[in-house]
Amino acid sequence: MVKPKIICVTGGKGGTGKTLVAVNLAIMFKNRGYKVLLIDGDVENPNTFLLLNAKLKNKSEVLYFLPKIIEDKCNKCGLCAENCGTHALLYIKDSYPIPISTVCSGCKLCYKICPTNAIEPDLKVIGWTYTASAFNIDLFLGELKPSEARSAVIVNKLMENLEEVIKTEPEKYDIVILDTAPGAHCDVEELINGADFVIPVTEPTRFGKLDLLRIIELINLLKKEYKAIVNRSSLLGYKEKFLKELEEKGVEVLGDIPLDEEIVSSYCQGIPLMEETSKFDRDGAGYKSFQQIFENLMEWGEFSK
Amino acid sequence: MVIIGIPTFGNKGLSEVMNDRFGRCSSFTFVTIENDEIVEVKTVANDAQGAMGGAGIQAAQIIGNNGATEVIVGHLGPNAMNSLSALNLKIYQSQGGSLTVKELIDLHLSGKLQVLTASNVGAHAGMGGGRGAGMGGGGGRGRQ
Repeated sequence: MVKPKIICVTGGKGGTGKTLVAVNLAIMFKNRGYKVLLIDGDVENPNTFLLLNAKLKNKSEVLYFLPKIIEDKCNKCGLCAENCGTHALLYIKDSYPIPISTVCSGCKLCYKICPTNAIEPDLKVIGWTYTASAFNIDLFLGELKPSEARSAVIVNKLMENLEEVIKTEPEKYDIVILDTAPGAHCDVEELINGADFVIPVTEPTRFGKLDLLRIIELINLLKKEYKAIVNRSSLLGYKEKFLKELEEKGVEVLGDIPLDEEIVSSYCQGIPLMEETSKFDRDGAGYKSFQQIFENLMEWGEFSK
Repeated sequence: MVIIGIPTFGNKGLSEVMNDRFGRCSSFTFVTIENDEIVEVKTVANDAQGAMGGAGIQAAQIIGNNGATEVIVGHLGPNAMNSLSALNLKIYQSQGGSLTVKELIDLHLSGKLQVLTASNVGAHAGMGGGRGAGMGGGGGRGRQ
């Protein structure tokens, strides 16, 4: 049994082209005959389906635990409040504890330790997962309900769904591409942690560099292999200087993508640049850069086919 | 009889100055009033002052456990607001400036303090720093 190889596209800074890279890598693997699953883990702004012009299906609720106090059973001992790590239970002596839902972490400790079983799970919807398919690529996508804070729970659900597929149909996918949110928070960490290869995408600006170095710190903490992609590399002519700076920091680069109108055009149309049936210029600067990146990736990951 | 809880800095009773921070004040001064007369004053240390999170909730617990039914506050975060509301406490907004407990009680007894119905700072606004690390002057607008 061969497990699919998992590649995580991340990057720290927002708007560097993570989704652009993730979608086009998925497409290039598919063009070579790989069975590909793309997971959109940017659950606060899930939009990968737009780049693939895909329709979302199979909406499924992600539920989260909150304590519900059953007053008939509660003996007002206060044990739950005393042990709640986030102080999400307000307890005044001789009265029923009051759950403060905004700070509850959903750990269920109160539910487990209540000596009179007076706490029951009160589930609330904090987001949804979806699936979609387009250009012979499958897509898993998560969406966090606006105003909810626990994006990592939705991401975790997506990864559980992936594990389930690997367990029940191990041959279903050869390659899984994870597209993360910006930042270096726990939802991003969850995805990087699940990957065999990590590709941070950056741009040749001071902002790009700072955020890249931050995400690399996280990648190193998780002891993962990574190589960076520099997007918009022709921006203001800083490319050589930027690449040199990365080299000085010991950051290996998988490739770079220049500014290219065809990339913008593909982005707006929802037709991936690298899709084999698309009409984009095969000699275009953007197209060629993606081809080079793909060849470098095949070599790095020792992918065969 | 009414017991009023006020976030403060130390234990000087009625001459203690009010602390604008609620969850992360250093002490609470509780004033018991009967027939518009102060009959008892006591100070309780705020154990929640250095909490990692949830200080507002724990502070509200201290208020509740000391039998207060009313509080006078400067800044109040969302968790503290939710907690005090869950306890059905009446929340009054101080008028700003470094007023003492005595001055606040006098203002309150003469009906000059407004009721606060929504939190007036964000979560964790009172974290870090020492005395006076609050949010500058002003505070929220009370509504009747």
